[in-house]
Amino acid sequence: MKSMHSFSFSALSLLLSVAPALAHAMLDHASPRVGNTVAAAPKEVMLWFTQKLEPAFSSVEVRNEQGVVMNAGKATVVGGTQLRVSVKTLPPGTYRVIWRVLSVDTHRTQGDFTFRVGQ
Amino acid sequence: MFSRHLRAALCGAVATLTSVGPTLSHEIVGNRFFPATLTIDDPGVNDELAFPTVSISKTGDDPSFKQLDVSAEFAKRITDDFAISVAPTWSRLYAPGGPTMNGASGFQNLATLFKYRLFKSPEHEFVMSAGLEIEWGRTGAQGVGAEPFNVYTPTLFFGKGFGDLPTSLNWARPFAITGQVGYSIPASKQTVTFDPDTGDVDTEFNPRVLVWGGSLQYSMPYLKSAVVDLGLPDFFNHLIPIVEASLQTPVSNTFSSGTVTTGTINPGILWVGRYFQVGVEALIPVNRQSGTSVGVIAQLHLYLDDIFPNSIGRPLFGNSITSGRPKFGN
Repeated sequence: MKSMHSFSFSALSLLLSVAPALAHAMLDHASPRVGNTVAAAPKEVMLWFTQKLEPAFSSVEVRNEQGVVMNAGKATVVGGTQLRVSVKTLPPGTYRVIWRVLSVDTHRTQGDFTFRVGQ
Repeated sequence: MFSRHLRAALCGAVATLTSVGPTLSHEIVGNRFFPATLTIDDPGVNDELAFPTVSISKTGDDPSFKQLDVSAEFAKRITDDFAISVAPTWSRLYAPGGPTMNGASGFQNLATLFKYRLFKSPEHEFVMSAGLEIEWGRTGAQGVGAEPFNVYTPTLFFGKGFGDLPTSLNWARPFAITGQVGYSIPASKQTVTFDPDTGDVDTEFNPRVLVWGGSLQYSMPYLKSAVVDLGLPDFFNHLIPIVEASLQTPVSNTFSSGTVTTGTINPGILWVGRYFQVGVEALIPVNRQSGTSVGVIAQLHLYLDDIFPNSIGRPLFGNSITSGRPKFGN
């Protein structure tokens, strides 16, 4: 039993130590922050992910309450893990950010959140 | 003498063993991450290793005895939607008379689960799978209750996140439920045993059992990434408070077992990281037949698809991209 324990810890250590820095890309945080209200309209929406992204298969859309896309340009991947997009002038209101990304280890994830502009 | 008590006690013990056995599968459906649950299976199909899962409880038998289980489960995707898992469990049954008696220990019958993901809807955070679990008879030690026959359990699994609720109910959107309903069919209707000490012949009827359960979970990762970022310390953003229920109801051939539902309600907490999760839950018996005191279960669970995405963490056949898109949904 003692040798089994030793084997277990060795195997676990091996698993964790050789783990490459890859996994599902999940949203870590964003600017504007998820669910928060900003007083001044942002010029860009930025999303930070937990893993590196494949730029060709990663996108983000910012939509207003009527569903109109407010992107002012194409989304770009910066530094491997940050997805950012310029937006048109955002009047006060609620905006939905919809993202779809592919991590470099080919796991695809998607999600959405909202933020508010104004009081 | 003790062996007779033990054998009589095993009716209930087997049900308990089944209920706290290792379970697997994490799943990502749209915004929703369904973690692996500890006492029921959940709807995901993935490459994973749960090791170890350790539980300690006191059975509902008379006299009650302490039971320790140490188990593992390895799941491998054959295709993106189909996986096979293998789960050995080692058990130690402590004699009710205390240290002067021997108790019993050994492996339970080996369990294999074949599981197929039927449906996945990222927009509604809904997923459903079907599976067939086979407990292989005569692969375990009879001293700890391993049966000499196979047991087949076809099961439906589902998971539903509440992220599609209106934003006026934002507080409820991190909630999710999972559930399972299975029907356990022993390959042998009865087991006849002969006691050489007394000459007694004992016939035990092996019931067909409804195996059911569910979980209610509140995802702090979901709260941060999809509802509102409260700026909490990072540790809290990885927590998922959870309550699981794991229950069994004999429904036919119940002459020996009776029809009383047994099982446990299991409040606890999970911490989920990028490559693994850890969890601990209390095992609260729902009635006297389910146990005589609160037990505990703990698990380390490794996400092999994230640790080894280009080798053992990917399906053997088919699309190597883990798609978040629905298979048959809108």
